[in-house]
Amino acid sequence: MGTFVQQIVNGLTVGGIYALIALGYTMVYGVMRLINFAHGDLCILGAFVGLTMLTGSAGGGHPGAALLLLALVVSIIAIAGAGVLLERIAYRPLRKADRLAAVVSALGASLMIENGIMLIWGPQVHVFPSNLLPATTWHVAGATISFVQVMIILASLVLMAALYLFVNHTRFGTAIRAAAIDQDAARLMGINVNRVITSVFIIGPGLGAIGGLFIGIYYREAYFTMGWTYGLYAFIAAILGGIGNIPGAMLGGVLLGLFNAFAAGYVSSSWQDAITFGLLIVILLVRPTGLLGERVAEKV
Amino acid sequence: MRRFKLDGLKLGALLWAAGLALPFALDSSWVSIAAFFAIYAITALSEDVILGRAGMFDMGHAVYFGIGAYVTAILNTTLNVPILLTLPLAMLLAAAAGALLSAPLIRLRGDYLLVATIGFNAIFVLAMQNNPGGITGGSDGITGIGVPSLFGLQLESQSAMFWLDWALLGLVLLVMRNLDTCEFGRALRYLKQDELAASTLGVDARKVKTLAFALGAALAGLAGTLFAVQLSTVSPSSFVFTESVTLFAIVIVGGQGSIPGVLLGTALMFVVPQIFRSLAEYRYFVFGIAMIAVMVLRPQGLLPRKRSAA
Repeated sequence: MGTFVQQIVNGLTVGGIYALIALGYTMVYGVMRLINFAHGDLCILGAFVGLTMLTGSAGGGHPGAALLLLALVVSIIAIAGAGVLLERIAYRPLRKADRLAAVVSALGASLMIENGIMLIWGPQVHVFPSNLLPATTWHVAGATISFVQVMIILASLVLMAALYLFVNHTRFGTAIRAAAIDQDAARLMGINVNRVITSVFIIGPGLGAIGGLFIGIYYREAYFTMGWTYGLYAFIAAILGGIGNIPGAMLGGVLLGLFNAFAAGYVSSSWQDAITFGLLIVILLVRPTGLLGERVAEKV
Repeated sequence: MRRFKLDGLKLGALLWAAGLALPFALDSSWVSIAAFFAIYAITALSEDVILGRAGMFDMGHAVYFGIGAYVTAILNTTLNVPILLTLPLAMLLAAAAGALLSAPLIRLRGDYLLVATIGFNAIFVLAMQNNPGGITGGSDGITGIGVPSLFGLQLESQSAMFWLDWALLGLVLLVMRNLDTCEFGRALRYLKQDELAASTLGVDARKVKTLAFALGAALAGLAGTLFAVQLSTVSPSSFVFTESVTLFAIVIVGGQGSIPGVLLGTALMFVVPQIFRSLAEYRYFVFGIAMIAVMVLRPQGLLPRKRSAA
């Protein structure tokens, strides 16, 4: 029983992080039909920016909640800016070109960011300070729940709820949904599609920066190739829920986190990743549009 | 038009023949780089069959390359099968894997196929690392792969190995050239351009696509055998997803369905990095920027396929 509850808590924590990152993949895909391969690397760049803020100005003392919040805000702004820049330079010129050109451009951007991180911060594993958050733990039904886990689960829930309300209940959110269904029709209805795309590249990487920083705080480490690993997981989560579908990415993230936690806890950790990828292929075979269905208009 | 095409073939043949003289002009480390060029060129051309010609987004091509390498390594080190005998088996098993893995996924839309093949690649690497049945040697891989022998002649020297690779590259180039004009190749092109129209005209989409996967995988398996021999060792790290990404990028950066394009792409992605070894740190950073720049400036690739009558 203890293990079971423990795996649920662990799974929800990781799942919340996956969901935050998966939202960036799914929103970009929804509006542009592009797999933004650089998204995972942007998220980890967020972790590094945050880490620099935390260690650079803490001076060895207790960083405190204010500094953590500041690091989060700076990281969100920096990564959202990087996302907008990326879209302008690498994706916008290719909007009308062969889709594969944009895919390779995205792969190039991923290589560039990943190795840019290595050039700035070095190839070694960076350790996150242990005194960022209170070490309080709670014992519930035989499981140990840490303060970090509670914070990550709550923060992801709040952010996802906020995004859901924004997309479904504001004028601009309606514009995003309209552009995702049909860009040309949206343009004819007076929607500024370029602004929608820019906004998607602010929201996605912004949430991703939070996800990246959470990864660093939760696992207490960051290294430059991390973007691929976690990016791929988050991407699988987006597919699981139905790519292009915003609630789908949230559900997919949480389910994948739980699935991973149980695969690692009950089966075998050396085959854990293989099981996850096996799940991905089974989903693609059985239900390629994901659990909630993709919200992408099929071009015939 | 016809005259020009003949010239292209002659130029290619001439360059290939000139390549045979490379071992006399270069020192052994450069001959080894030239050998790797030949091996990766075969792999990239095999990816072009699936991605460039059939238009299927295969981002796990390193799997078939890896199957070829592992088949040769396992058969040679455990059962002492001569290298050149393992070659057809490597091709056959890779082709079978290509056909079997792709069969259920072929109907998926481009992006989903891409994701599924990424999944296959990850599972392949994990499987090799976890050493099932103790035959793949885990993360360290398999060492001590023998030397190929031809008519009782041991192809031991780097030059001899280069000639073997170069000769097989020549054969693969002939296959690729025939693919431009043969019925199967044209069927691939029609399918890529308009699947519905091609099916209406009697092209069996499923069969042709599965065959394309099998052919691409077989050629990759061939390159895998050569790779195992060249290194005399195989390990999972040579077949990771990043390698598939590189092969994918070679075809798109070079030019889909364009033989000179794919060869140029291979040279840029695999040979240029060898020249700038001292700048290894900056290598992939610059690579990433170059990939973006090429795509933005030349979305059709560096040397796009010439529009033919089809």
